[in-house]
Parts: sequence; structure tokens; C-alpha cells
Amino acid sequence: MKSRVLVVTSGKGGVGKTTTTANLGTALAMMGKKVVMLDTDIGLRNLDVVLGLENRIVFDIVDVVNGNCKLKQGLIKDKRYEALFLLPAAQTKDKTAVTPHQMKNLTNELRNEFDFILVDCPAGIEQGFRNAIAGADDAIVVATPEVSSVRDADRIIGLLEAAGLGKSKLIINRLRSKMVKRGDMMDIEDIMDILAIDLLGVVPEDETIVVSTNRGEPAVLETASRAGGAYRRIARRVMGETVPIETENTDNLVDKFKRMLKLAR
Amino acid sequence: MLTAAKEMFVQDTIDLSPYQRFSDMKHGLDQQLTLLKCPHGTQIALAMGKRRLTNRELKELELVMLSHGVYLKDIVGDDGESARDKPLIDNMPHYQETMLLCKNVRSGQKLASSGNIVILGDVNPGAEIVAGGNIVVMGCLRGMAHAGALGDQSAVISAYRLRPTQLRIADHITRPPDNEVVSVKNPEVARIRDDKVVIEKLKI
Repeated sequence: MKSRVLVVTSGKGGVGKTTTTANLGTALAMMGKKVVMLDTDIGLRNLDVVLGLENRIVFDIVDVVNGNCKLKQGLIKDKRYEALFLLPAAQTKDKTAVTPHQMKNLTNELRNEFDFILVDCPAGIEQGFRNAIAGADDAIVVATPEVSSVRDADRIIGLLEAAGLGKSKLIINRLRSKMVKRGDMMDIEDIMDILAIDLLGVVPEDETIVVSTNRGEPAVLETASRAGGAYRRIARRVMGETVPIETENTDNLVDKFKRMLKLAR
Repeated sequence: MLTAAKEMFVQDTIDLSPYQRFSDMKHGLDQQLTLLKCPHGTQIALAMGKRRLTNRELKELELVMLSHGVYLKDIVGDDGESARDKPLIDNMPHYQETMLLCKNVRSGQKLASSGNIVILGDVNPGAEIVAGGNIVVMGCLRGMAHAGALGDQSAVISAYRLRPTQLRIADHITRPPDNEVVSVKNPEVARIRDDKVVIEKLKI
């Protein structure tokens, strides 16, 4: 299989880029793929914390691209999966410490070793964003059902198109089906109407994410976690499987009845 | 009513204003056309007086006329003026240059042209369309559109769904009213009438 470089981006901060990267990376590793996650949020690194790998960091992405260490030395192996690696961001430098050209070379080098290279993009549209997308084949755009998040996602999709990443896919994160049912939250259709790109998955709002993030254990590891289940399905879609999109927000009595009829037949 | 009607080609208007009810009007038109025996393809205007026809009524009258092989030339009102709505195409200012774009215009993207701009796609919030001439969006216009940006007051902005954050025509700036959610499910056109930007149903 040809290796793929996927950048996880959103424009707006706090919508779940890092959580998505950690969970998707772990889920792909669970499926037996060799995966590396790149944290490009230089100066504000988080991905290592979410994965619980903070205390293993010796070298970082800036050291690797500047040749202060070998690529192999910079990669941190995950505690749980042999085939999962992290290249952490530097915390004491800023986004200008790396150039898009260096990022492209780095991802190309990683292609020889890994099936999936997941790039965790920082918030914003400045150099951090340009670095993150430099070597990517495809983009995954994360948005929450809020007008501000959707607006920023739209901006990001436009910039990705301009950069030649025309086939980005969307993950709608933190959807609260109860609020959608009450009409207090944008529903999937509202968001798809505006963004008009393929939907990769819908992740429900789930308190277990907070717990797992604080503990440094991605939610996909817990079979009971609803968000974790959503991320596992997203990973299967990334692998090319056809998995129906969760539509619990549209699940009303009529739909349930229709399903029962279908089952009866 | 039928006094001058014997000579063909002379009468090109049938007066329907005496009829109160539409069913009578339809029947009367049918009778008159039977008496007139116009040659195929004749164009006949209908005088309506003060009455205004709905689109559906107009269609029905046209069908009656077609069954006699004649065509509707015009609907004439009280003042002798045509009572039919003038199609939009007549009122649109002409510009030689037109920019055609077949994609969605997203937040942060800006499109500018000294002529017309036609977009086959949506214009999302945060996007800007600026045209010296007219703007046509064959999708949902949710962003900002500025037509007649070089000062043409007669420029129009039309969209399949008109839900803009702001509309500008020449030096006029408007926005949708606050706290008012109107979701019109048909194409609309914005233009300046009596020094105000008005939004009307799009008729072609």
C-alpha cells in the first residue's frame, strides 16, 4: 500500500484537531497499520500530552529538520502499539523554526517507513498552517457545529483548494444530538450545505474524551466510549471501507418504524 | 363587444374587462374567438381594465387562445400600458465582460470584475463578490455581494437563494433585518428602486 500523508486541520482552535489526530492515529495502528503522528504546533505542543508520551521526549521536530538528531532518534514509540510513533513539536521555539520546504522533505522521508503520516496542524492560517499542509496528500477538516467553527472551516477549505488539496474530508466533532433535536444546534445538513465537501464522520459530544485526554489514553482504546467508536469507524473509512455515517440526530420515530418494517420483511 | 370584430386583422385586442368572474371571462374569450375565426398564428392582446391576473389565470387564458390557434400578444391594462411584468432581462444593464466561475466561493475569497460576475455555486459567509456590472449566483448567496461597484445604480444582484450577510449596489449598502428569519424558497433579485435596495421575486 502506498503511504498517505493526512493533515488534520480546522482553522479555529479548540475544535478537536489534536484529539482527532491522537484517536485516528491510534485506531489506524490498532488496525495493524504503521502510523506516525507529527505535531506541528511548535511552541504549543499538546499531542504528546494527549497520548501520554510527554515524559519520553528527548528530541523534537525542529531538531529533526535541522539535523541536530537523526529522524529515528526523534520518533517516540507509543506505549501501547508497536507500530505507532510520534514526532513531537518543540515547545521552546516558534512556527518559523521550520519551513514548508523542510516539512515536505520530512514527510517524504517518513513515507518510506510508514503507511500513514498524520500531521496535527496548529490553529490559524499563518506559517504553522502552511508548514503543516506542505507535504500532505489529503486534508481532514475538523469542525464543531458552531457558526464560528464552520466559518473558519470554510476559510480553511478555500485555502486547501488553493494549495492543491482539493479533496478534503470533513469530521463534525462534538455533536450533541439532543440539542440538534431541540433545534438549538446546527445539524449535519446545515453544515454540509455550507461546506459542501465529503463527510468522513460525525463524533458525538462525549465526556469520556475529557477523561481520556487528561489521562493520556486515546478514547478509541475504550470500547464503551461513544466518541471512541466514532473514531474507530472514521479510521475504517480512511482505510477505504464503506461504513454508514451515524445519523442518530435524524433518528425519529418514523425512521425507527421504517427500520422495523424493513427488519420484518 | 363584437361590433368591430367582423373584419379580420383589424381587431388585435379583445376586451375582457366587462367580465367580473374569471370563469365568465374564460367562456367569453372562447366565444369571441369562435366568432372571430382568426387565421392561425394571429397575435391578440387582451384588455383587462383594472383587473390583475394571477399567473395561473394567465396560463388558462393562453390555453384557450392556443386551442383557437392564436397567440397572446400582450395584456393591456387601464392606462393602455402593458400590465404584464416586464422580464428582468430588459432591465438589466448591459456589460460586455462577464466572469464565469464554476465553484463555491468560500470564506476569505474575493472575486472582482469590472463587468458581470456569474457563479455556478454557492457564495459562503465571509466571501466577497465585487462587480462593476450585475451579479448572478446560481446557488446560495450567503456572503457579501457588491454590484455596480463603479457607480451603476441600475445593476442587479440575483441569486437562486438570496441569503446575504450584506448587499451593496453602487453606493447603497443594505443588510437583512436583525431578528428576522425569512427563508424564501425561490430565486430573488435585488435592485435599486426609488433610491432604496429592494428584493423581489425573480421573474424571467
